[in-house]
Amino acid sequence: RLVQVRWSRYNPSFLEPEVNKELYQKPREELTEEEREQMELKAVRPIKAAPPTLSSSVFSDPMISKFTNMMMKDGNKVLARSLMTQTLEAIKRKQVEKYHKAPENEKEAIECNPYVIFHQALKNCQPIIGLSNITKGGKTYQVPVPLKDNRKRFLAMKWLITECRENKHRRTLMPEKLSQELLLAFNNEGPIIKKKHVLHKMAEANRAYAHFRWW
Amino acid sequence: DHGFGLPTSARGCLSSVSSQDVPTPEKPRAVFHTSESDPAKHTEHHEGRHYSIPLQEVKAVFPHGLPYRFQQQIQTFNEACVMVRRPALELLTYLGSSNLAHPAVRYVIYGERGTGKTMTLCHVIHYCSRQGWLVLHIPDAHLWVKNCRELLQSSYNKDRLDQPLQASAWLKNFKTSNEHFLREIKTQKKYTWGKQESTEEGRPLGEVVEQGLARVRSASDAVGVVLKELKQQSHRGSFRLLVAVDGVNALWGRTTLRKEDKSPVSPEELTLVYNLRKMMRNDWSGGAVVTTLSQTGSLFKPSSAYLPQELLGKEGFDALDPFVPILVPNYSPREFESCYGYYLERRWLQHEKARTEDGKAELQFLSGSNPRQLDRLAGPL
Repeated sequence: RLVQVRWSRYNPSFLEPEVNKELYQKPREELTEEEREQMELKAVRPIKAAPPTLSSSVFSDPMISKFTNMMMKDGNKVLARSLMTQTLEAIKRKQVEKYHKAPENEKEAIECNPYVIFHQALKNCQPIIGLSNITKGGKTYQVPVPLKDNRKRFLAMKWLITECRENKHRRTLMPEKLSQELLLAFNNEGPIIKKKHVLHKMAEANRAYAHFRWW
Repeated sequence: DHGFGLPTSARGCLSSVSSQDVPTPEKPRAVFHTSESDPAKHTEHHEGRHYSIPLQEVKAVFPHGLPYRFQQQIQTFNEACVMVRRPALELLTYLGSSNLAHPAVRYVIYGERGTGKTMTLCHVIHYCSRQGWLVLHIPDAHLWVKNCRELLQSSYNKDRLDQPLQASAWLKNFKTSNEHFLREIKTQKKYTWGKQESTEEGRPLGEVVEQGLARVRSASDAVGVVLKELKQQSHRGSFRLLVAVDGVNALWGRTTLRKEDKSPVSPEELTLVYNLRKMMRNDWSGGAVVTTLSQTGSLFKPSSAYLPQELLGKEGFDALDPFVPILVPNYSPREFESCYGYYLERRWLQHEKARTEDGKAELQFLSGSNPRQLDRLAGPL
């Protein structure tokens, strides 16, 4: 696990907190050499304070926490988290209602798990290739460039949130609009998928400048 | 797995088999259901199980009064399933064996927030409407003492204030739930509603309700007339009256309403509250009064208050004294299992970890076996 140490005020002897329950439930013989050393160190060294985002719950999901943090405004995590839970519940309610009203043969095709829908929708929204501004000879060109995984995830979540904040009716609430957009993205429809396709087309159009990239 | 693909009729006959003998281990989902949809036949054997009410009956018996989240659940699952719990069974035995010649017994359902008091009340109302009682259900008395846009001075008594909107909304819902009673019961006095309109003696009560709905200004007086007539005629024995009030502590608390000169309104000055207080007295016979205390909508009461003494205040306690208190606790381990199994079976708990033992233990710990917290936690999962 990567830990940022440049601005950390902790003494280097402090260890990270370990949240995984299974690790502590394993008997001593099953642990590997490194794990045994780690356990011995924990008896002697002090441990850093756990950050509020670290959770030992079986239901916690890192992608959902990242999305909640991006939705947060002015540090109001309580509001952002409640909006997220309401969105997941809204998605589930719509799908379960459709499930119970559907005839027998179509029941298997309806996906009710809001987490599966969320992950699949984000995957569908991620662009494969991006554009970056490169200045050469006084002019800036939009050059097609491969994107890293983190950048793709960030772009997908950013597009989703800006879309839901701007293009909605004054009276519709965020969970309602978000659940609508997520369901559309799950089925590969909707404005965010269109935005992704537009970006891909621009990159395809600017193929000629692809050799400007030096990394 | 649990065999989700079985059609409803098969599930119905499976659950009827399992409710009579020992539940078979290879079909655990049917344990949480009973096919017994008549509350009169519910016994301790059915404790912890869910019984379903047909949707037509739900619309007829509960035009108002079900909690909002339960209404959403009915729409999502396409069925209305209520859990049979011990306080409700206790109340049903008392009501079944009550002597209707004696003055009306008052029952007060109390408990902490979110433990299921309103659902117990709805179970009792369903039982009474199946038995043929006339159900006078006020869904939430707190709605009558706060957020009122229009307050008219009452024409009957200069000191009192009318609430036309709330009264007409209640009359509309009362009409849908008790249509056949309104045709049979006749008024015993002549009532004048203004210069030209009046209701003669011997006309069916339905006309009074129509009058209240047509002339919204006199809707609160129409409600008062309905309550008075029902109270006077219940001792004859032609019908049995159940007065069900949710949030009865609103009748004796304070209001947030103000008169035009900005002076605060006390509850006695509202016609609806005044007439309802008269119903709460036990000077009539031929029925019962079942009420619920509620802190959630109450005004000027701390959120940790749940006992009758704290929520009703001295005035309310003396007015309702003597009453039968019924405590509604959080879920017992068996009821928690039943609720968890019901959510799993209805495809409400979708997270893969929610099906494991760890997930179940986590849900039980986080919710503290409180029904409302469990419902809120199970929402996004």
